[in-house]
Amino acid sequence: MPDSASPQPRDAAPPQPGALPASGVVEHFFRHESGRLHGALTRLVGPQNLTLVEDVTQEAMLRALRTWSIGGFPANPSAWITQVAMNLARDALRHQRMSASKEPAVITHIEQTSSTPPDTSCDENQIRDDSLRLMFVCCHPLLAPDAQVVLALKVLCGFSTGEIARAFLSNESAIEKQLTRTKQRIKAAKVEFDLPAGEELSTRLQGVLGALYLLFNEGYKASAGDRLIREDLCQEAIRLTSLLIAHPAGKSPASHALLAFMLLTSARFPSRLDDNGDLLRLDDQDRSQWDQALITRGLFHLNEAAEGSELTEYHIQAGIAACHCTAPDYASTNWQRILRYYDDLERIKPSPVVALNRAVAVAHLHGAQAGLDVIAAIPDRSRLETHYLLHAVTGELQWRLKDHRAAADSFRRALQLAQVGPEQLHLSRMLERSKDIAAALG
Amino acid sequence: MPTQPSAFLLLFRNASPETYKALSPEQNQQVLERWNAWYDDLAAAGKLQYGHPLEPEGRVLVGRGERAVDGPFAESKEAIGGYFFLTVADLDEATEIARRCPGLKHGITVEVRPIAAYCHLGPIGAPQREARMLAKAST
Repeated sequence: MPDSASPQPRDAAPPQPGALPASGVVEHFFRHESGRLHGALTRLVGPQNLTLVEDVTQEAMLRALRTWSIGGFPANPSAWITQVAMNLARDALRHQRMSASKEPAVITHIEQTSSTPPDTSCDENQIRDDSLRLMFVCCHPLLAPDAQVVLALKVLCGFSTGEIARAFLSNESAIEKQLTRTKQRIKAAKVEFDLPAGEELSTRLQGVLGALYLLFNEGYKASAGDRLIREDLCQEAIRLTSLLIAHPAGKSPASHALLAFMLLTSARFPSRLDDNGDLLRLDDQDRSQWDQALITRGLFHLNEAAEGSELTEYHIQAGIAACHCTAPDYASTNWQRILRYYDDLERIKPSPVVALNRAVAVAHLHGAQAGLDVIAAIPDRSRLETHYLLHAVTGELQWRLKDHRAAADSFRRALQLAQVGPEQLHLSRMLERSKDIAAALG
Repeated sequence: MPTQPSAFLLLFRNASPETYKALSPEQNQQVLERWNAWYDDLAAAGKLQYGHPLEPEGRVLVGRGERAVDGPFAESKEAIGGYFFLTVADLDEATEIARRCPGLKHGITVEVRPIAAYCHLGPIGAPQREARMLAKAST
């Protein structure tokens, strides 16, 4: 064979001239495929060699690009590319064995993990297992939460540094630097490619759930960055959490609750913006646009999450999302229950943002003034001063009390702090209306 | 009266693989989908008879054929990555097709070469010649 890395793309017979394989591959195929390859290759060379893992994956992608652009997509693109990557990795290892001084860590890893030649099979269960192990590497407690999310996006989700930079409104070289530091940390700490067990599993699983929650919220909050990329972040968070649940080690009531929260929240995506791209409040949204399939899936996982006695913040947040999704219209929303959920949430995970959300629920039940009173009483409200949401909510409640002058001030402040187009639009419209009425009233 | 279609090869050379390397997996997929749509459209229009990618490495004979060395390497700018066999009206139409190659903006070069109309073996692509070859192959 002239090139050991090249597999037989289709049948053993040479391709028939003009014969085309089924055109196209599933959406995000390359992104997800690179995540799978990263898992499989890390099993082979260890988490200390993530850079090698990424290089081999990239080379395999490049070969697919060259061959498939003219030859069309093979019948099983995933098997094709896995075989190329495994062959490339084997070649790289053989190379490094010959110059062992160069990368002794790889050799050590291979020697420690197997006495036989490295297993390069690509069986489905193995791949799922590898992805999960890689998830535990990315969400290792040694790494800062934002570093975990960035690494997960890079190696598990196959995002480029450019795409990550766009999602976080950062620049590519900053992301690059952060990734390099993260990988050095993993190397220095000799992080293992294994699944934690027993007591350690539940602690580590909490860390993984935390990172996935953060990933989802980065996509959902839409406070900055490219909107399309951000919706991808939410989809990725859902994909990874589903992956987690499909594995015995990742399946827990809290995992189900987190997935339920994500599904029920993203079910409302299609109606968040109007035809002009303006942000719509919950009461203005067209509920017929909500994704019923996602709601059904979400409720299923919420039900699964109820097993056991554990009550996590994810359970509560999923419960709140379910209240919104199951209300036929805004007026019939069960605010009583939502307020109870926020009371629970304040107890187990107190934060100024939770308190602000609770104030909204209070306002629905007991009037705008009661809501403003709750806001005034938030213990560390100063931490919220720079958050546009505090002023937007305050303005909304003042508007309802017909205190238009105060509302205009609040909307003005919120507008100064908001970063995203649709939110700015909504706020500037509210500001104009408040100012007009305040002026008319003198 | 329409002119007889003539045969052309489009040769794709992997100029500057670094440009391709900078693509994210998502962009990689987009480029591929554009390539395949381009191929399918040309095939459906009857302008593209066939095309194949080439394996990145084979053998190159050097030194008056005394040695066979591995190569060419796909990383080298001159290496041919694949070809299309077109039958179109003229060089201008072939060039126009080449201009739409989705790899161009990523640094690939496309060479448009007319297949010589005549040689001592007879007109290339002529039905008689193909029939002759088929007859020979079946005996």
